[in-house]
Amino acid sequence: MAICGARLIWDGAIVFAGTGLPVLSSVLAQNTKASNAKIIYEGGNIDTKNKDLPRSVSDPRLMLNCAAALDIRAALGEILQGGYVDIGFIGGAQIDRYGNVNSTVIGNYRHPKIRLPGSGGANDIASLAKNTFIISLHEKRKFVKCDYITSPGHLKGGKTRAKSGLRGNGPKYIITDLCIFDFEPRTKKARIKSLHPGVTKRMVLRAMRWRPIVPWKIPVTKAPTKQELQLLREKVDPKGVYLKE
Amino acid sequence: MWYNVDMPKQITLQEAADLIPSWSSVFIGGFAHIRACMAFSRELVRQEKHDLHFVSSGPTVHSDMLAGGNVVSRMEIAYGGIETIGPGPNIRRRVEEGDLQIEDYTNFSMTMRLYGGAMGVPFMPIKSMLGSDLETKTTFRSKAEKLALVECPFTGELVCLVPSINPDFGVIQVQRVDTEGNVQIDDALTSDVDGLKASDVKIVLAEEIVSPSVIRRNPKNTAVPGLMVDYIVHAPWGAWPTAMYNFYDYDQEHIEYYAKQCKTEEGWDEYMKEWVTIGEVALMMKIADRMKALKARKGLGY
Repeated sequence: MAICGARLIWDGAIVFAGTGLPVLSSVLAQNTKASNAKIIYEGGNIDTKNKDLPRSVSDPRLMLNCAAALDIRAALGEILQGGYVDIGFIGGAQIDRYGNVNSTVIGNYRHPKIRLPGSGGANDIASLAKNTFIISLHEKRKFVKCDYITSPGHLKGGKTRAKSGLRGNGPKYIITDLCIFDFEPRTKKARIKSLHPGVTKRMVLRAMRWRPIVPWKIPVTKAPTKQELQLLREKVDPKGVYLKE
Repeated sequence: MWYNVDMPKQITLQEAADLIPSWSSVFIGGFAHIRACMAFSRELVRQEKHDLHFVSSGPTVHSDMLAGGNVVSRMEIAYGGIETIGPGPNIRRRVEEGDLQIEDYTNFSMTMRLYGGAMGVPFMPIKSMLGSDLETKTTFRSKAEKLALVECPFTGELVCLVPSINPDFGVIQVQRVDTEGNVQIDDALTSDVDGLKASDVKIVLAEEIVSPSVIRRNPKNTAVPGLMVDYIVHAPWGAWPTAMYNFYDYDQEHIEYYAKQCKTEEGWDEYMKEWVTIGEVALMMKIADRMKALKARKGLGY
């Protein structure tokens, strides 16, 4: 999953990495084909080239070799809202068919069943980046209608996002451990783009509560190469910060 | 000896926490894994403060500890979790049981609200929060108090206005401050500087208090000029178990232990007895061994 995320980052892209797996994918991308990708973290570390993997979006590890250590106003305001960011990369607890993401509550907002961390910078990233990538484990409880929309995707599909006053094109991909989704250009509904090796349509559809667009022919995601796996396990995350399983 | 009325007063950690009455609003610094005002928050728990109105962008372990100690009853924040772990265990329990209310904003909007407060203007325009439930749903604020959607008077573009905020007290933990109150921060500033500047009474806790000549040698590194600062406190290791760049790394093992322990009320009580109520001096003795391992290495800063 982390490798799929990394492969979708093109060289030279300016990437805003949200907390969790996006950090791993972004750092991996920088170590593979997108060596000129510039990574921004909301705490204020800009264009980082860290040696050790950060645990969070404001980690002292990001200081080593970064181009600038500024503040949230510069990162989220001047760079993100200013229109520099090509890819905003976030995770989330619930994801709907239009790529809207919930990371705030499960259940009723005022009387929640589960209180989650909340937006952090995710709403800002999803609102303002030119493209959003969403990365998440593929589970039935996660691919549902959102109880609360923390980070806006294509909202209700069609042109609703543009009408709400948001900038950026919204979600481009959802990357899971089973497949990659993109979005049908007119309706903005999620569509299976490729299935990971060994995964069937049935497996994907059984692990979610909404139905994506399922094309007749779906290509298979290229399997991770030995080099990619070795790089991920030995160089990028040797201590297993994100690779716990 | 000459005397300058503008000089900030140096006080102790206990005196600093004592300044803050219950029911007041506070900005307490710390973001993700860095510079959390941990010692200060532990002291607020020890002094049994209650019903504080907590304001920040993406606070971390300290805000969760304040929720655990029932020090805060309302929060205006963007993030109530501990990164790599998930929701703050105490925050989660308090919210689910109805003892704590969170008004959700985003890291950018909270930072801009504080920046607006610091600059003395009533609101700030931003381009996020639009279209999401952050725009439409509220908890203790009414929708009209949370934000306003307006068309720009010049271009007609839709923008979101967020109200500026001036907390009663602002507290941050930094690398160094001089006796005149000039603050230097060595790593990313997050929203700490905006939060402090927005607050009426400004308290700076520092790893070291240096002479003004040290600061004046590198004035470009000064994040807050001393003439704005009211109180300074010498609080070494005050951000443990979060990190202070150039001084010490975060103690991930302890943060994970904290998160595991605080999943239940009994666990939190136990943690509090073992790590909070014992006081800072006893705590420092207790973690003396860990300090050696966490001390920042030259050339890395962590």
